[in-house]
Amino acid sequence: MAFARRISRYHWGLIAMLGPYLIGLIGLIGLPALLTAGIAFTQYDALSPPQFLGFDNFAELLRDDKFWNGLRASLILVVVAVPLRVLGALGLALLVQSRGRATSFLRGAAYLPTLIPDVAYALIWLYLLNPLYGPLNGLSQIFAGGVETEAVNPVATPGIWLTDPRAAQAAVILLLLFTVGEGMVLLLAALGEIPRDLYEAAELDGASGDQQVRHLTLPLLAPSLLLLTLRDVVFSFQASFVAAVIVTQGGPYYATTYLPYWIYRNATEFGRYGYAAAMTLVLYAVTALVIGGLFLAARRWREVQYAG
Amino acid sequence: MLDDAVEGLPTVAVPGLPPGWERAWWQPVRLVLTVLVGLGGILPLLWMFSTSLRATTLPPAVRFEWIPAVLSWENYPTIFQNFALGRWLGNSLLVILVAVPLTVLTGSLAGFALATLPARARTALVAVSVAALLVPTMALWLPRFLIYKTIGILDTPLALIAPAIMGTSPLYVLLFAWAFARVPPATFEQARLDGAGSWRVWWSIGLPQVWPAIGAVTVLATVFYWSDYLSPLLYINNQAYYTLPVGIQALQQSNPTGWPLLMAGSLVLTLPVLGIFLIAQRFFFRLGR
Repeated sequence: MAFARRISRYHWGLIAMLGPYLIGLIGLIGLPALLTAGIAFTQYDALSPPQFLGFDNFAELLRDDKFWNGLRASLILVVVAVPLRVLGALGLALLVQSRGRATSFLRGAAYLPTLIPDVAYALIWLYLLNPLYGPLNGLSQIFAGGVETEAVNPVATPGIWLTDPRAAQAAVILLLLFTVGEGMVLLLAALGEIPRDLYEAAELDGASGDQQVRHLTLPLLAPSLLLLTLRDVVFSFQASFVAAVIVTQGGPYYATTYLPYWIYRNATEFGRYGYAAAMTLVLYAVTALVIGGLFLAARRWREVQYAG
Repeated sequence: MLDDAVEGLPTVAVPGLPPGWERAWWQPVRLVLTVLVGLGGILPLLWMFSTSLRATTLPPAVRFEWIPAVLSWENYPTIFQNFALGRWLGNSLLVILVAVPLTVLTGSLAGFALATLPARARTALVAVSVAALLVPTMALWLPRFLIYKTIGILDTPLALIAPAIMGTSPLYVLLFAWAFARVPPATFEQARLDGAGSWRVWWSIGLPQVWPAIGAVTVLATVFYWSDYLSPLLYINNQAYYTLPVGIQALQQSNPTGWPLLMAGSLVLTLPVLGIFLIAQRFFFRLGR
């Protein structure tokens, strides 16, 4: 009671305004996380009541080749695609930061691929990568080596984007590299926050353009770069899922059956919700580890910066 | 006048090149990069358009063709006649019509509360919101599926609209919170001392000052719900409730190599977003400071 009286009527009003948001946070994010942890220990087909299994699902995970394959594919994707995406966004932001008509057009053009709805974007790539007349087929040979593939069309260079495991993984990464528009805008905003006097002072001190980038721009952008990297890690799970569903269908030979896609198939195709939940828990753990690791690395980097 | 209107928008300030960056070698490099990025951004759309005009009766092109010999505009009516595209388009619009206003309502309410709460509560809630942003969608769909099933909204349009109750994304709530935080706190304090309750302050003092944020969230949420492919894929089974993105996928599944029709459908899906962006872009980038 004493607690309730200390909060004014005005503040109760504010709390009520937060109501829908809090309900959503709990019901759509908090509760689902708990629920996942709960049914991960059961056998559940979403029809009959769940049956408690103990650690059986996790024991099965250890033996499931496709789970390890999916985990590895997802980790490779994160390790390769995320740094490239962040670098791409950074490069674009630096490229389009000058004013003028041409760069204004360029900002629009660079943002376009991000804007295209996922399905349409994936379908364009499915078309671009088709083995018969895809314009990027010559390029696909770089990644050859997963398996032997036969020439589908003897006239043109056959594309192996969707038939060779390594090329398919490369294709998904390639597809992810063009949608860095949001990252570009975020970094552009951060660039705009850097006081111009700093550059002018550096100029007076005789710092060259690339010295300014290295010792001024990049350190000041570091928090934004970290934020963007974290967001990209989370985003890459979703983007690779869409690519797996539409472009590669998880193949060839499960090469692009990323963990989220394997979870999806286990639940929707095999009705194994308990097992899928156990894998979802692993996905949580992987995300937490990657994000935690990035935070630690960022802090370490800052210590080194200030010590040196 | 326009500058005044644009001032205060959640815009991106285009900084301009720092002094000393204009070197002789940089100009040609920039030109090449500009052309490459420009092509990379625009070619896919042009290509989508040109493919959508190829006659469906022709075999697939063996070589790349930029402009089909015969332009068959009838591909566009065809996809609406042969598939329930009109219905799916209507569903998409209905979802937007309900979800976007709801998002603006719940998002601005939460954002206002967030901006005016005591500092400690605010810090905690911002931290929770940022943490919520870092939970991958793909780690949430399975339990959400089960929750929607339990409360009986699975396979109904409500499953698509559900996130709107929390302002769709913590990001939108934070956008509102930032906008409200930019209003001088004394404005709200004065109204409160005059006896206005929190809801009244939100409605008559707060909202009129954050039009730019309302606009930004409306644009972002509209584009999100229009393009949202995962929710209908995961939560909707009944074709009658499909929205356009899964509808286009259904088109692909029924005719995997019918590229002209698929690209026509993709363009129908892409054009509205493009239009919204072209209108919004003018207000999005602000030159200088």
